[in-house]
Amino acid sequence: MSEVTHIPELANLEKGRSLTQDALARLRKNRMAMLGLYFLIGLIVIALLTPWIAPYSYEEQNLELGASPPSAQHWLGTDILGRDQLTRIMYGSRISLAVGFIATAVALTIGVLWGAIAGFVGGRVDALMMRIVDALYALPFTIFIILLTVVFGSSLLLLFLAIGAVEWLTMARIVRGQVLAIKKQEYVEAAISMGLSPWRIISRHLIPNVLGPVIVYTTLTIPSVILLESFLSFLGLGIQPPASSWGSLISSGVEVMEEYVWLLFFPGVVLTLTLFSLNFLGDGLRDALDPRASKD
Amino acid sequence: MSSETLLSVENLRVVFNTRNGQTVAVENLNFSLNKGEVLGIVGESGSGKSVACYSLLGLIPMPPGKIESGRALFHGQDLLTLPEAEMRNIRASKIAMIFQDPMTCLNPYLRIVDQLTEVLIVHNGLNKQQARLKAIDALVEVGIHNAAERIDQYPHQFSGGMRQRVMIAMALLAEPELLIADEPTTALDVTVQAQILSLIKDLQKKRQLTVIFITHDLGVAAEMADHVLVMEKGRLVEEGDTQHIFKNPTQPYTKKLLNAVLTTAKPATEHTVNRSGSPLLEVKKLHVGFPQYSGALFRRIKNLVKGVTDVSINLYEGEVLGLVGESGSGKSTLGRSIIRLIDSQEGSIVFNGKELSGLNGDNLKNARRDFQMIFQDPYASLNPRMTVFDTLAEPLLVHGLANKTTVLEQVNQLMDDVGLDRRFIRKYPHEFSGGQRQRIAIARAIALKPKLIIADEPVSALDVTIRAQILALLLKLTEKHKLTMLFISHDMSVVRYLCDRVVVMQKGELVEEGATEELFAAPKQPYTQQLLAAIPKL
Amino acid sequence: MFMFIVRRVLQAIPVLFMVALVTFIMIRSAPGGPFDEDRAVPPEVIKNLNERYHLDDPLWKQFLDYISKVVQGDLGPSFKYPSHTVNDLIAAGLPATLELSFYALVFALVTGLTAGIIASLKTNSMQDYIPMSAAMIGICMPTFVLGPILLLIFGVWLGWLPVAGWGQIPGDKILPSITLGSVYAAYIARISRGGMLDILSQDYIRTARAKGLSTTRIVFVHALRGGITPVISFLGPAIAGLLAGSFVVETIFQIPGLGRFYVTAAFNRDYTMILGCTIFFAFLIILFNLLADVMLVWLNPKLRQELEARG
Repeated sequence: MSEVTHIPELANLEKGRSLTQDALARLRKNRMAMLGLYFLIGLIVIALLTPWIAPYSYEEQNLELGASPPSAQHWLGTDILGRDQLTRIMYGSRISLAVGFIATAVALTIGVLWGAIAGFVGGRVDALMMRIVDALYALPFTIFIILLTVVFGSSLLLLFLAIGAVEWLTMARIVRGQVLAIKKQEYVEAAISMGLSPWRIISRHLIPNVLGPVIVYTTLTIPSVILLESFLSFLGLGIQPPASSWGSLISSGVEVMEEYVWLLFFPGVVLTLTLFSLNFLGDGLRDALDPRASKD
Repeated sequence: MSSETLLSVENLRVVFNTRNGQTVAVENLNFSLNKGEVLGIVGESGSGKSVACYSLLGLIPMPPGKIESGRALFHGQDLLTLPEAEMRNIRASKIAMIFQDPMTCLNPYLRIVDQLTEVLIVHNGLNKQQARLKAIDALVEVGIHNAAERIDQYPHQFSGGMRQRVMIAMALLAEPELLIADEPTTALDVTVQAQILSLIKDLQKKRQLTVIFITHDLGVAAEMADHVLVMEKGRLVEEGDTQHIFKNPTQPYTKKLLNAVLTTAKPATEHTVNRSGSPLLEVKKLHVGFPQYSGALFRRIKNLVKGVTDVSINLYEGEVLGLVGESGSGKSTLGRSIIRLIDSQEGSIVFNGKELSGLNGDNLKNARRDFQMIFQDPYASLNPRMTVFDTLAEPLLVHGLANKTTVLEQVNQLMDDVGLDRRFIRKYPHEFSGGQRQRIAIARAIALKPKLIIADEPVSALDVTIRAQILALLLKLTEKHKLTMLFISHDMSVVRYLCDRVVVMQKGELVEEGATEELFAAPKQPYTQQLLAAIPKL
Repeated sequence: MFMFIVRRVLQAIPVLFMVALVTFIMIRSAPGGPFDEDRAVPPEVIKNLNERYHLDDPLWKQFLDYISKVVQGDLGPSFKYPSHTVNDLIAAGLPATLELSFYALVFALVTGLTAGIIASLKTNSMQDYIPMSAAMIGICMPTFVLGPILLLIFGVWLGWLPVAGWGQIPGDKILPSITLGSVYAAYIARISRGGMLDILSQDYIRTARAKGLSTTRIVFVHALRGGITPVISFLGPAIAGLLAGSFVVETIFQIPGLGRFYVTAAFNRDYTMILGCTIFFAFLIILFNLLADVMLVWLNPKLRQELEARG
């Protein structure tokens, strides 16, 4: 974002450390957050490569084998139909992560636009927009999503939209709060009184300063979206067989947990670890970006 | 006055262990305090003056704080090694404290009566009824009217000065021998400050109290203390009798502090202000109000809270006009409405022959090139994500006053102008101290060579010695660039140092106006007289 | 204060109306009807049923009829179980769900607040790290993973507690309540720790210490009220979450509660039951949000007096 790069003489001068660099340095020192980050990167890579690296096909049945505990051929065991569990978890990751990221992107888009417009325009528009958000907060959204999936059948696209449409509310509130707070900051007043154009004020003075909390909240939204999808799939309302997500794997694992405990255990562990990683990363980012920590 | 020693502190060393290593807050501090004496501890922020006193009562957070060595003998008992349970019996009943910001030091969730009486119930074993009666007496003593009724109210129903009176009443309830007052008037308006100081002084005399008075303000120390310690960066620099120290300081730091107290008028300038022509800025009958909203579903404007009422001022080219008033007097609102950061409801603002109050869009944007603002808080007035170079280059490039080949040289000259090293232009605001940031803000304001600068309390957030430097810089720049400036301040001594003419505002209205020295010599309005009386004298 | 409550109740009416309208439109635009069975039903029968339930009327008329009945507290007959009204079904399922949510909430508040307050007083010690790590696990462990695990350990392997039912065998309420409450215990622990830390760093706590008060008095008289404020604002969303969570817990532990009825109704396309339950859930959530707001105002003297001044 700097215009410094155009001026060669400047390159020789000592560089300052920006707040972002400081924050990243702090994040790098946070061991749990970094572990979470590495786990997530690994998981995403595996999920992307699944069609090529998965040991079996996800619907390949082996009825003679039936449910078998972990072994050299099937590292995480097989389910009642003799399907390889590792493969099914890998394919499940694709769906769970896709829902997590895409629905969050939907929520992010709606929330940031809504909150930013309310915050910028202010006055009556702001009051009305936030009243709508308040009213929507009072709704039983989980129930609505169940309703949606029942009514329109459970397609992936619907899941993205429905979950995204629920999760944008908090994002809108956060963005609006930030915009209002920064609008009152004296450096924005200074920019206005220098006669800068509104677009320049927004792009150079507002957005870079709103970005931090948005990133943190995005990181924390992904796990709650993944959880919501798993919740629906667990109730049998989300992903339909033979496709699988973590939630539907856990659901079928619960039915047979007394005999074949590994069918509950492994998908549960993967889901919990993913949620762990995202939450630790989000917490770490928040600590790293917290202005109170960077002031002293 | 007896000469019995009440408290003696020996070799006190306090450190803080932070993420970035250890910082020494207090280093090898020695002092003693006689019964009935008022000791002033003077220093700037970070001098360790508060930490030293807090550690006497075990009030520094530990960790990260740690008392590494030393003794503090109070009645022969070492306070620093006292177990927590015994320390509690010392607090409030033997040694009491009052703090800087009365707005945050009272518990907003509890009634005044509960906060006062718990001291007596815990320490003196009184029952609720007895404690209440004593608490009412204490409130009467510190000058709170209707004490019997007001005692049942919550802190938010009291003004800042009143809250500080409540704090004082609370501190003195259990009749302590030693009172530690930590900057008790810094957060208050100047006229209120004078009242609180005289209240503390009266109570000290009446009760023969021993007092430690912590302050950054030498004037306040001179007024209150018999004996003064001067601290710098955790160390005791100089100590002695108040009168003696202020007349014959031996240490350079003490001299620097004393020089920072402004007692001089603005020096005669080389250029003279021509007041015969039309003024550069002419504000006529300006009214500014803030809308209050109400309504359950849709917001309606209920009424306007008055900010500025019927104010007219003129400002001539090359003139520095001081705008003085206390918080809530509408002085900042006036400043901001002149440059259209706030909209006014009535009246006209003519700047350089053009009416500003109706301007919009590009016309307003172009007009804004000619006036700039310097803000109070140098921590909030710079975008934390832009380097100094970007901050200073932005207005130059946007308004076409520089191109890519000349901008570096122009920024460098601005850095020279405000006394900052050219090498620092790729650094970010958070890497600078408060005084340096204010220099950057000043550089940004003068970058466009504006016809008018509005400075809103630009030095009130700074330490005294830094304040003196920034004021000297502003004085130099007004001379060098023949700046026209509206200088907003609550501090009469600062205004006297910098301004040619002064207007005084109270409750949104203009009450008095005049050439600086004339106004100082013969203030007509009682409010102006009060403001002038509130300047501490050395 | 009274006017504040009245105002909030008035604001809730359009919200409830919108809930009803949206739900109604969604259900009616769904493919398939309540009388779709595996075997073919003669057209006359369907016609009769449609007439009986006024499914042939124009949609807006159906909606208005329905709303006017709802206002009188009548949620209509169930499509799936014609002999029962929705009111009956809700009345049958509600006690178990409410009781379950209540125990879960009590569990969450007791453990969450205790852990949070202790952690805030002993930051960066074992008394902070252990409960806060446990809270992180609690947040990341979904109810539908925790429930089966608890069931497996305490119900199947150890055999200490019953594995299913509600109110039939002593102790059968323990596992479901803990399962449902643990996530909220975790959130409350984190929120109350943060809230207490905020308050404990306030100047007025320093004043209280300078007054020579004991730690117990400082925590309970001076800090707690401000410290638990964020927990109370969390209660509204928490109760909404508890109701949704009861779907899962009731399924796992086979509890005949409203959550299970709702999921079943959703599978069966029992229109009136879905509509009725949704409106009822929305009503409950709005009610508890209102209660939380009233408590927040009541705890804050400044807000309380501003409201009293406005009437």
